[in-house]
Amino acid sequence: MPETPKGSTPPSGELSPEDVAVFERRLSDLGSKIDGAQAEKAAEITAQEDKAMRARGMAYGLRMSSEFVAAIIVGGLIGFLLDKAFGTVPWLFLLFFVLGLAAGVMNVTRAFQRLQEDIARQTGGNIGKDLPDGDDD
Amino acid sequence: MAAEEAGSHGAGGMPDPIHQFEIHRWFPLDLFGYDATFTNSSAYMLAAVALIIGFLTVATSGRALVPGRLQSIAEQLYEFIANMVRESMGEQGMKFFPLVFTLFSFILALNMLGMIPGAFTVTSHLAVTAALAGLVFLTVLVVGFAKNGLHFLKLFVPSGVPIYVLPLVTMIEIISFFSRPLSHSVRLFANMLAGHITLKVFGGFVIMLLGAAGALKAMAPLPLLMATALTALEFLVAFLQAYVFTMLTCMYLNDALHPGH
Repeated sequence: MPETPKGSTPPSGELSPEDVAVFERRLSDLGSKIDGAQAEKAAEITAQEDKAMRARGMAYGLRMSSEFVAAIIVGGLIGFLLDKAFGTVPWLFLLFFVLGLAAGVMNVTRAFQRLQEDIARQTGGNIGKDLPDGDDD
Repeated sequence: MAAEEAGSHGAGGMPDPIHQFEIHRWFPLDLFGYDATFTNSSAYMLAAVALIIGFLTVATSGRALVPGRLQSIAEQLYEFIANMVRESMGEQGMKFFPLVFTLFSFILALNMLGMIPGAFTVTSHLAVTAALAGLVFLTVLVVGFAKNGLHFLKLFVPSGVPIYVLPLVTMIEIISFFSRPLSHSVRLFANMLAGHITLKVFGGFVIMLLGAAGALKAMAPLPLLMATALTALEFLVAFLQAYVFTMLTCMYLNDALHPGH
């Protein structure tokens, strides 16, 4: 009598050990595929959020540098004009230059405070990402 | 190309990166002793205004309950600015919505028109950005004094500062206040100017390398790639600078409404 060919279902309806192995391999293949797709999607979302945040950060960065410089220039200019008016070259210029520097630092710290408030409002108080909760696998 | 546009090319076949910012006088006009010549800059400003009005008119003409594409762009634009105004000034800040919306759409339209190859970028001129920043600065002063009277000066006197450093802090606050129109205008102007010069320089590299001999010619695609990437960055900057300008306008106007920090 010829043997039943390998891999075919026995008449009782049970799976042969080879079939079970094939199924399990397919299952794990599928599982890893799904995981891969999910990770890709998550990465895409994160990348998009990062992009938005980076654009915001860039806007603030551009602001801070120019505000710092502008305060120093205005301070120096005020000092220079007062010097010319009172004939006290160069003392008022030096004084107002330093004051301008202080004003620049103040501008930057204020802008940074605002940035932090902004981020806190957007992320609901927790800066950065939540850790994934690993309870389902 | 160098022959037909001789004026735009410097030595060695390198296109002159500054040429694009030249003002051309189209129709000389003398208004009450002031030089009000219609220039290419004026033309682009008019084009921007026409673009905005045309777009908003067409977009809102349907007034559908379920907005179509154009209408939803217009609605998003409105929501974007309205949220910005409400967030920084509160509900009473909506008085300034027309001003803020106009500034944003005007600057955005000018920046984006400037991104069209060969177009003139109005916002790359300090005169224009300084006028816009000056407008905001004067509005803050006028509204601040009109609404709060001398209480507006509280802006320069932060609360909770010991009396012996108060004069110093007040001086610093005043300098900080007067540095606003400078940083406000220079930021927009410098970003647009620098971006467009960079684009032009990298474009010029492509032409120079193509004109060179042998192996250098093969390197021509490299600056072209760079110019392409920079174009994308410039679009981001064009939007971002309009956004930053508007956001700061809101912030400054907020000081006029609520002087105490």
